[in-house]
Amino acid sequence: MSARQTLVLRVNDTEHEVRAALHDTLLTVLRDQLQLTGAKRGCNHGVCGACTVLVDGRPVRACLTLAHTCRSAAITTIEGARGIADRLREAFEQAGAVQCGFCSSGMVLTASALLAARPAASVEEIRAGLSGNLCRCTGYRKIVDAVRAVAQGAER
Amino acid sequence: MSDQSLIGRSLPRVEIREKLTGRAQYIADLYRPGMLHGALVGSPHPHARIVSYDVRAARAAPGVRCVLTGEDFGDHRMGAFIKDEHAIAKGKVRYVGEPVVAIAAETEAQARAAALLVEVRYEELPAILAPEDALAPGAAIIHEELASYFKVFEAVCGGNVCSSTELAEGDLERGWRESDLVVEHEYRTAPQAHVSLEPCGALAEVDAAGRVTLWSANQSVFRVQASVCESLGLPMSRLRCLTPRVGAGFGNKMEAHIQPIVVKLALAAGRPVKLVLSREEDFEIVRARHPFKVRVKTGVKKDGTFVARDVEVLADGGAYADDSPGVLGYSLLMARGPYRIPHTRCRGTLVYTNKLRFGAFRGFGNPQVSFGTETQIDEIAARLGIDPVAIRRKNALGPDDRWFGGQQLGSNGLAECIEVAERESKWKDRAQLAAAPGKRRALGFACTAHISGLLGTGAIVRLLEDGSVVLNTGAVDIGQGSDTILTQICADALKIPLDRVSIASPDTDGSPYNWGTTASRVTYTTGRAVFAAAREVERQIKTHAAELLECAEADLELRPGGVVGIKGVPGKELPFLAISARAHWRKGGPIIGTNSWVFDQPTVDPKRAVAVGLPFPQIGVYSFGALCVDVEIDETTGQIEVRRAWTVADVGRAINRGSVEGQLEGAFAQGLGFALVEEMVWNGPRLANPTLMDYKVPTSREVPYELHSYIVESPDPDGPFGAKGVGEIGINVVAAAIANAVAAATGVRLRQLPMTPERVLRGMLAAGASG
Amino acid sequence: MSALKQLHFPQTPEEAARLLARGDDVRCIAGGASLVAMMNLDLVDPVELVSLAEVAELRGISATPDGGLRIGAMTRHRELEAEARLAGPLAVLREAAGKVANPPVRNMGTIGGVVALADPAADYPSALVAADAVVELASERGRRRVPAREFFLGLYTTALAPAEIVSAILLPPAAPGVGLYDKLARVAGDHAIVAVALSVTRRADAGIAVGRAIGGGAPTPVHDPKVDALLAQGRLSDAAAAQAGAALAAAADPTDDVRASAEYRRLAIPRMVARAVARARDELERAR
Ligand SMILES: Cc1cc2nc3c(=O)[nH]c(=O)nc-3n(C[C@H](O)[C@H](O)[C@H](O)COP(=O)(O)OP(=O)(O)OC[C@H]3O[C@@H](n4cnc5c(N)ncnc54)[C@H](O)[C@@H]3O)c2cc1C
Ligand code: FES
Ligand code: FES
Repeated sequence: MSARQTLVLRVNDTEHEVRAALHDTLLTVLRDQLQLTGAKRGCNHGVCGACTVLVDGRPVRACLTLAHTCRSAAITTIEGARGIADRLREAFEQAGAVQCGFCSSGMVLTASALLAARPAASVEEIRAGLSGNLCRCTGYRKIVDAVRAVAQGAER
Repeated sequence: MSDQSLIGRSLPRVEIREKLTGRAQYIADLYRPGMLHGALVGSPHPHARIVSYDVRAARAAPGVRCVLTGEDFGDHRMGAFIKDEHAIAKGKVRYVGEPVVAIAAETEAQARAAALLVEVRYEELPAILAPEDALAPGAAIIHEELASYFKVFEAVCGGNVCSSTELAEGDLERGWRESDLVVEHEYRTAPQAHVSLEPCGALAEVDAAGRVTLWSANQSVFRVQASVCESLGLPMSRLRCLTPRVGAGFGNKMEAHIQPIVVKLALAAGRPVKLVLSREEDFEIVRARHPFKVRVKTGVKKDGTFVARDVEVLADGGAYADDSPGVLGYSLLMARGPYRIPHTRCRGTLVYTNKLRFGAFRGFGNPQVSFGTETQIDEIAARLGIDPVAIRRKNALGPDDRWFGGQQLGSNGLAECIEVAERESKWKDRAQLAAAPGKRRALGFACTAHISGLLGTGAIVRLLEDGSVVLNTGAVDIGQGSDTILTQICADALKIPLDRVSIASPDTDGSPYNWGTTASRVTYTTGRAVFAAAREVERQIKTHAAELLECAEADLELRPGGVVGIKGVPGKELPFLAISARAHWRKGGPIIGTNSWVFDQPTVDPKRAVAVGLPFPQIGVYSFGALCVDVEIDETTGQIEVRRAWTVADVGRAINRGSVEGQLEGAFAQGLGFALVEEMVWNGPRLANPTLMDYKVPTSREVPYELHSYIVESPDPDGPFGAKGVGEIGINVVAAAIANAVAAATGVRLRQLPMTPERVLRGMLAAGASG
Repeated sequence: MSALKQLHFPQTPEEAARLLARGDDVRCIAGGASLVAMMNLDLVDPVELVSLAEVAELRGISATPDGGLRIGAMTRHRELEAEARLAGPLAVLREAAGKVANPPVRNMGTIGGVVALADPAADYPSALVAADAVVELASERGRRRVPAREFFLGLYTTALAPAEIVSAILLPPAAPGVGLYDKLARVAGDHAIVAVALSVTRRADAGIAVGRAIGGGAPTPVHDPKVDALLAQGRLSDAAAAQAGAALAAAADPTDDVRASAEYRRLAIPRMVARAVARARDELERAR
């Protein structure tokens, strides 16, 4: 086994010193060492989006990111996401956009980055922007509505 | 209904904040002190005798604490209908990937590394991969001891036939004689993977007395308890089953997956063991939707009146029976559809093959048969020159009609469902739909019905000292929202605010029995138990209040906010707090309302129908639905896009409208995958696409944003507030409606799923419908 | 279990190449979107990794002296998708970038990673061939340039030598014309069943010049200069398109996989070529 090496990760505005093997993914380290289990492992392959976190404000696959390559990055997980994410939470709640919730962390983070870049995103932009986050429960309609509601708030 | 009624509103999920802040805990998120991690070794062969194991290297590997093979397990078998399955392969393997050895080690990586060191010697046996081959004379037998297995019903089985079922009404020969037109075709559906976003997993811990606590991703803590105990030979009282949040279940988490193995590992290692499947393992070793071959023959009169129907199903059951006999029987019960067809016979054969077991999946066989029956209706309509909606309306079951088999319908909103779908989709103006250049476009229509019900259920409502309430049902909320709905029912029945009721997490030690979150049943069955248990609490409250207020119980009423008072006398009232305190400390004892019941209306009326090998004597009440889709086909590639959809369901009464819509929309999306892209492909004995890279499910791009759901309410006399189930109905006819639209747009009648660009394009080229 | 022992963060392409020369088990890592997925599945097990994340030179898109564009190997799909200078015939690359995977993966994956990996189902190779791009490679020996049309040699095989990295992609100066990328996939974010990359330049001298290639399902981008000439001479007529489509379908030798059968690909290629050519012709007309 490759030895563990010390690594300082800045997660949710707090610096954490962790010991991680070089091949450990960011997902493994967040979950197993920092007990930030909001990012989920749905495929470990980059497809489902359940592991999404923000690295320097952009959504990435934590399952495809080696933790040690994040040494100079600012990482935001669902546990620490604020601002637009809070507005999205409110909208997801109102729209009934959550069923089992396994996709929800990734959805909220991906949507928050989308709205940060395009505050008044259209339905089509939202559908495209969320297409890398699978949801097997909702049929997406209510999720898109929730994100669109926040976007409309920004239009006003 | 007062203004404050909690029924019918789109209240947010009671657990929503937890899920939106990342704090909801699913099985993978649980960690116990001293916990080990499990890994599995899967069989490389589809069918083989296990000759010997060599686990020495694995035992000696770093971090390994325990290695178990089939020899460490007793000869106990589990199964919902036919007890044919060991906890881990024993003596024989029957599909590629079947767990043969289980390992527990200090870390997941160590456990997985050790798994690679295990050597198992096999003696290969001929593999049976197609259902037709299973039936061939001289075929290798997959379960030699089938005859001796315990069966919970009178199974008609033998050889590789796991179960065969027949259900018939009327006189088929007469039916054909009376028909002016007879249409017959064969339809094929593909194996579909559940792909709940959360893979299956379990965590077991043994206490000092040897009693086991098991957390797992499941749809029923009670089925888990029964299956684990059956397959390990444990008394049920030695196992406590709990559930964390569940990352959805669509039938895949109803029966056991790896729970028995994880319990055995924990018992053997003497430490907690967690095992969460990788996505690949989840595809390869849990279960999936059966591929069906369905022959449908329908006879009709010139005016479109349905006269006769003959259906024959051949279902691939895979290596173990699991829920398959139920799925087969249910599919046959659904094969007449929500129509009057006086002469109907439906027969089916379920066979064992050397593939992953197939089992319960939302729709439970209904989507498979409906693909055949609902597309055939369109074919008939076209041949007779009748509008597809008109022919359905003409033959639709009315409120006084009975379901196939003879069960009386307590409620039936089918006519209204058809009307809503027709109106909202502007069906009558469909000729005016414009297709984009290079595209064909048309609407497609289909109708359906589904049951909700089945088996035992209970509820306990406890009034706490302060007048707040804890509700305990044992029903697992798998994401569909039952915690919220049951809380709404309880709070509404007691006229208290939602936040005064907490719902307990399912626990086989403390919860009343609940068969499971399946068969679209929780709202209907558990909701009813909750309502009755709340009524019992109300009765006890009134007994106390009558004594305290010196009046008759009949003169009392519950008032909003947790107050009981004398009707018509505003000031004369008592808060629940006062009543509960009295009950706890002075008189009567704590107030606990309980209810339990089992669905007991017979499915088959022997005076009307003949049934052989049907595994469920009582099934449930019927919900109805209609669906219209607006489909566009790319002439260049044959790719189908669903632009809009109108999905309508008669749910009796929507307890939570948002949740009902959520079920209809989610079911539609899953049906869309079944219709267009999803197919587990076996390359010889091996699954060729067990990853999300290769097995695709619809994304936010494929599911139409214009996915409109409509609720029809034809109250069921026995349902809580009239409610019936809605969990499955929305998936049943998505494929059929799309196929009907494709036929309308291109003239191509597809009889095989999924409707890939390839199948569509070939059809169009053959029909000369595309240049 | 992973053999990984070291992770390097070189600052220049040459330093990266030098580190790669330390052995066969040394690999570079760009976005990691493919490499880490392969590591998770135990398909690759590098002993050392050379991260290109801090090599400043590999980042960004800049104009070249000849009026073309230089795209650093570490440029993300997201950046290319939004790059306004990828216009006219070069739009083929912008469109392709917008159709790679899904938005979060487009935040991770890099053009250098795609080009170096040469996954037969990837989207850039055919677009780069169509646009007549050049791949710039860096090693301890210095830089060299290989036209995209000669770079992709087979399934996961390229002209990249051991201890060499992709440093940039060079594009010719934008000329009037159109570029388009038509991708057929099972669902959004999936790899292509078939993709048609087309890049058409209107030139004063030769009327029009065409570059196009078929991707998805064949080991390398399918391209044939004779077919380009045929389309150009035929001025993108339907007849020329039909001929081109048939020739390409014959040359493609497509694969059978879970996404589609080879037969279907053979069927779809000429049809998609015809559609792409017709679209390009319409756009050229409109731009006139
Ligand atoms: C879910 C998912 C869907 C995808 N869908 C698509 C798709 O539809 N179309 C598509 O085209 N791609 C798709 N991809 C692949 C994606 O584009 C990857 O990002 C890309 O293939 C690799 O880029 P990377 O920067 O992540 O490379 P890495 O994963 O970091 O590296 C890939 C390989 O290239 C080598 N390498 C990387 N950079 C260089 C360099 N500069 N010089 C030499 N060698 C180098 C590495 O050593 C490694 O062997 C998908 C990936 C995922 C995870
Ligand atoms: S777990 Fe990372 S994308 Fe699925
Ligand atoms: S809510 Fe279950 S996967 Fe989205």
